[in-house]
Amino acid sequence: MSTTAAPTPAPSRLASATAAFRSAPTRAIAVFSGPVGLAVKIALLAVMNGIAVWAATILAGDHNWIAVAVLAAATLAIDAIYLSGRAVPAKFLIPGTIFLLAFQLIPILYTINVAFDKYSTGHVSSRSDAIQAIKQNSLSETASGTAYSMAPARDASGKIVLVLVDQDTNKPYVGDTKGLKPLPSGSVVLNSDGAITSATGYTLVKGSELFSLDRTLSTYTVPVGSAGAIRPQGLDTAVVLQQTLRYDPKAETFTRIMDGVVFHDDGKGSFKAAGGEELEPGWRARIGFANFDRLIHDPLVRKPFVRVFIWTFFFALSTVLLSFALGLFLAIALDKKGMRLQRFYRSVLVIPYAIPGLLSILVWSGLLNDRFGVVNHAFHLDVPWLFDANWAKVSVILVSLWLTFPYFFLVSMGALQSVPSELYEAARVDGGGAWQVFRKVTLPLLLIAVAPLMIASFAFNFNNFNNIYLLTAGGPAMGESTVAGSTDILISYTYKLAIATGKGQDYGLASAITIIIFLIVATISAISFSRTKALENLA
Amino acid sequence: MKVGRRFATLLAVVLAAALTLVGGRAAPSAQASTKASKVVIWTDSYRKAAVDKVTSAWGRTRGIDVDVVVKEFDKIRDNLKTVAPDNAPDVIVGAHDWTGQLAADGSVVALFPTKAIKKGFPGYALKAMAYNGKQYGIPTQLENIGLIVNTALGKVPTTWAQLESRALAFKKKGSGRIAIAVPQGSGGDAYHMYPFFSGLGGYVFGARKNGALNPQKLGVANKTFLNNASMIDKWNREGLIDSKIDYGQAKNAFLDKKAAFWITGPWETEALQKSGIKFRIVQVPKIKFRAVPFLGVQGFFVTKFAAGHGTASAAKDLVSNYMGKAGAQFDLATANSRYPANVAAGKRVHDPILSAFGKASAGGVPMPNIPQMASVWTDLAGAWVKSTKGAGATPARVAFAAAAKTIAQKIAGG
Repeated sequence: MSTTAAPTPAPSRLASATAAFRSAPTRAIAVFSGPVGLAVKIALLAVMNGIAVWAATILAGDHNWIAVAVLAAATLAIDAIYLSGRAVPAKFLIPGTIFLLAFQLIPILYTINVAFDKYSTGHVSSRSDAIQAIKQNSLSETASGTAYSMAPARDASGKIVLVLVDQDTNKPYVGDTKGLKPLPSGSVVLNSDGAITSATGYTLVKGSELFSLDRTLSTYTVPVGSAGAIRPQGLDTAVVLQQTLRYDPKAETFTRIMDGVVFHDDGKGSFKAAGGEELEPGWRARIGFANFDRLIHDPLVRKPFVRVFIWTFFFALSTVLLSFALGLFLAIALDKKGMRLQRFYRSVLVIPYAIPGLLSILVWSGLLNDRFGVVNHAFHLDVPWLFDANWAKVSVILVSLWLTFPYFFLVSMGALQSVPSELYEAARVDGGGAWQVFRKVTLPLLLIAVAPLMIASFAFNFNNFNNIYLLTAGGPAMGESTVAGSTDILISYTYKLAIATGKGQDYGLASAITIIIFLIVATISAISFSRTKALENLA
Repeated sequence: MKVGRRFATLLAVVLAAALTLVGGRAAPSAQASTKASKVVIWTDSYRKAAVDKVTSAWGRTRGIDVDVVVKEFDKIRDNLKTVAPDNAPDVIVGAHDWTGQLAADGSVVALFPTKAIKKGFPGYALKAMAYNGKQYGIPTQLENIGLIVNTALGKVPTTWAQLESRALAFKKKGSGRIAIAVPQGSGGDAYHMYPFFSGLGGYVFGARKNGALNPQKLGVANKTFLNNASMIDKWNREGLIDSKIDYGQAKNAFLDKKAAFWITGPWETEALQKSGIKFRIVQVPKIKFRAVPFLGVQGFFVTKFAAGHGTASAAKDLVSNYMGKAGAQFDLATANSRYPANVAAGKRVHDPILSAFGKASAGGVPMPNIPQMASVWTDLAGAWVKSTKGAGATPARVAFAAAAKTIAQKIAGG
């Protein structure tokens, strides 16, 4: 037959028919393609540029010139892409790329940066702040503990002085930056609260003017010889304090005045003496690979690592496989056409996925209590669900299974519809039983769609802190003394190391171990993804 | 080229629009941040009203404005590390066990309150907010657990033997009953178990000569305690203390009248009052030593940012002078339903439950405030869980010795 004889409606009739029948989305797009769309585009670009300019002024104020340059280049590039008629694919890719950079790449880079720092309790501020704080902390009260009621005042020439009354002897003095001078008794009047109300020859500074003098007051010192200096502490008290440490800015060391011990910068964020004594606070310092080194050399960190890693892998794998099996089973079971209450069953089965995991896991830890929990009562069991090391592992997997199977149930329901029914008929004609049909037809085609989701779920459960920590807090402690409990996964173990060891809050160490975990998960995922390509050859 | 011209005009329009958007508001970094006009305080929502009242009264006497900012209590300590100096507070509210960490970080400055102010506080309250021999905060309220006795179900015990016999007798009389409802659970709870720990001679850290805690002197497995540890095995055999009971179960057992003795703190006052149960609050009776509870002290600190803002002296005056006085103490503590730290303010408390908790705090030990305490909690709690879990429990001597070893390792490793 000649192909040109195939009957088709005349092109003009087709075009006009289509033209009259444009759907709402098509009409909306048509409207936006004109001047309205251009106006919206300019408005959005203007807002974005406005934000970029505002951010640039802040960065310039911080003298962060590299960031300003990067920001300017990126903004101009985005402007160019959206204003020119070309680069259409880029127009669609840019918003997603920006979010990828902001929420994935930059946090990863920041974590890598922190991993090379000593950033923990006592090492959070900058070096100059730490030196300032050490100087402040080195002030201590003298043996006599002399304290004065104080009132800042101006003398006849307008200079700021301190009118002081010794709190023990009630003798009045006046102090300035050069020293202390006694005043004739009776020249200073106190009220019933012990505050100075007037002093002959001096005008007291009061009210808000006092507040504006705050900076001068905070750093004012009245030297009193070898005993130290009188320093204001607040607005109406002054205490005699002496320095116990002296800072040498050229040598960058602190020397303790009492015994001459010298504290050097040890390159790891603190001032340390030869004997190991450390001054607090330290600062956040670059220490290179020292955090990673602890993973290899510190027995506290290294000993449980392999055991915890194996359990983490097993936990994630069994959660994914069991959930997929159960979800798929339920999806197939409920796939019968014309089944009664089908919608009801499907809705109920999704409930575990819909309830916030935080609440349901806490409820489960109550249900699994072996003395008072419902599970042991209802089934007349005496299983120590959360108190025995092995049963705790079982509990954790069961609770994870309960939380995860609805996800695979939903996914399988959708993926099952995509298997063409002709293949089922063909398989049945060829004489295949139900199990063979499932194994040779359904499963491979299903896995093409679901395998990436399974890999993603594996990666998620590898780091599933909530499921482990809320249920068992890492599990019953192991026999030997270690940081990791019997159900700790790598991430909860890292958390315990960082927060509950040493002085606590060791962000540097936590970041280093997190990067190792990231590399492990990325490697496993990459290998799995390359293996799933083989599945696609079956389609 | 036509396209190039169109592109250039579009770009010009966009940039012009952008600059007008920005020009409308002055760049924030243009204004200098050195002029301080007020003192900034971070507090939590429970205390906001009281802090407003106290600080505005102070502000009026000094002619200074105060800005009270509400933050979540648990976030204050962490936010202090990352806040920009322009937005940073001058004064913060805090728990006393933050003192060591805040001082070690250099985030708070030392205070020197006058002798008159210091005399108004019990010694341990001030020490709770001191580190390395220096005072860093002023305490405003005390918090401690006590033994709640349902007087309809059991008489108030005055000795340990009485508590033991009455609790066990109550437990035998019915099924599903609990002798002493003290919360542990699989993670344990070293805080609620502390009266039993101190009653047998246990302590966490020994003290140096200047009163500061020494992280190298661990008292978790000291000889006296280990010698008394056999009593824990006895309690476990009798079923007096059961680590399977967690917080929810202990509370529900007491409120459902399945337990006559409950160990909890003032945060359950409302639940107790609503339940209609007739109860009394006492300290756990002396075991071998006084069974004192851990004290939680809360108070106010002056941050390092005050000096940069030019409000250091004002902030110090507010915290170490004004807030140390009885009137402010009473307002700040009772707003939070807690017992004030100042002794004179404590005498003004008439609420019977609060006073009872105050009496139950006598001799109490503040939770160690040094950063190394972070390494202690899990293992101390775990030792209790292991030795009181019923059948198959580890002998207490072994459990606590192992815990002490792990804690020492963790402290050394940090």
